[in-house]
Amino acid sequence: MSLAHAPLERGETPLVRVERPNIWAVVFERELRDLWTGGRALVMCFAFSLLLSVIAYLVATNTDLNFLEQRESVSLTLQVAIAVGALLALLVAGDAISGERERGTLETMLLTPAPRRQIAAGKLLAALSLWLAAFVVTVPYVWRLGHGVGIVAEALAVGLVVGTLLAIFLASLGIVISVFSGSNRFSLSLSLFVLLALFAPSQLPSSAEQGWAGNLLIRFNPVTAGEHFVGRIVVNGHSWSEDASWLVSPVLAAVIFAVLAPVVAGRYMSLRGGVSE
Amino acid sequence: MMRGRAVTALIALGAVLALAAAVHAASSPAGISATVDRARISTDLGSTFAFRSTIVNHGPAADGVIAHLNIVSLNGDVYVDPEDWSTHRTRYLGSVRAGGAQTITWRLKAVSSGSFGVYVAVLRRGGADRPPITAPLVAVHVAGRTTLNAGGILSVALVVPACIGLFTLGLRLRRRRA
Repeated sequence: MSLAHAPLERGETPLVRVERPNIWAVVFERELRDLWTGGRALVMCFAFSLLLSVIAYLVATNTDLNFLEQRESVSLTLQVAIAVGALLALLVAGDAISGERERGTLETMLLTPAPRRQIAAGKLLAALSLWLAAFVVTVPYVWRLGHGVGIVAEALAVGLVVGTLLAIFLASLGIVISVFSGSNRFSLSLSLFVLLALFAPSQLPSSAEQGWAGNLLIRFNPVTAGEHFVGRIVVNGHSWSEDASWLVSPVLAAVIFAVLAPVVAGRYMSLRGGVSE
Repeated sequence: MMRGRAVTALIALGAVLALAAAVHAASSPAGISATVDRARISTDLGSTFAFRSTIVNHGPAADGVIAHLNIVSLNGDVYVDPEDWSTHRTRYLGSVRAGGAQTITWRLKAVSSGSFGVYVAVLRRGGADRPPITAPLVAVHVAGRTTLNAGGILSVALVVPACIGLFTLGLRLRRRRA
């Protein structure tokens, strides 16, 4: 917190202008430093790049053998990148509050006059940096797999939009889970379970997606709807407006949870988690 | 002389019987037979190849003729899912007029390397009492292919993790020194 004295004019009563720094920005900066210079995020990005290398190599081989179309290989790689990139953001967010609590650093943070809502917002933004880094790592793979068929720019654009929406949704969800979790282990386990549950419908056979119930499930679930949208744009070459309805649930989920996470944190963030093992 | 004629007659009879047996094996009681234009095909993994089968009706007009393609591994060392090889394996030909013929082109993709047998079976709709007949086997040999650097992906697949790994390592070493 800093004080700034404004120059006084004749007849004006002395005022002391108090400038409150944006607490979320301070938390965001500190979290970013912890994540990136501490090396944790870099190790995650390294693991992510290894995974993407294996996937890209396999799909490129399959494309070379005519088992996969080039568009399909780009879509597959992009969908894996979105899923795993969002997972990274979820893991960091899942650790955000419960991790501080377990390491004994949450008490210090709660003793500061910083609003809890802003603490959560800063941590959420820092978690999202993992997704952005994952996206940057994805770019050369998509470029290499998609060059020659003119889909690189569109694939990257749709990947950035869908991935960002899903990362916001999942990272916010991770913050909510972390606020209520009694231990970090519980928070991370629950976050992973929720993520797997959200991805499970994507493994349904295509025939199961034909009925109204299957279609509703795919559309309602932000993860499957987002991945479906990516496939429509990259593989089928549809326009964004043609399949915009598939973006409804990812957008809604991102907005609702991005608002919900700071509100929940502001109200329920405490030294002891709301839910214990 | 008489003995020689008898031997010749026996040989001729044997040949006729053998021919009859061969015709019987390749044609159904209804008089339909199936042939293929190639006996052997050699190709590479991932390549597309094609052959043609001709279904000839030697008897009266036949309705509801169906041709079905199948693939088996001849060595038994490779799992074969025929749907992977061809997405259009069953053809409903309708009727084949008396003395008429229909030629079908089968396009397949070699999805595994090894030795395979491809054959076409011909059956009739509602012909539960008629056994299907098969065209002669097409022996397909698929050679493996090395795809070490497919589409130039190897450079990206190696360089990206290497760069991130080296950067992470460098940062850790720097922190340790500090």
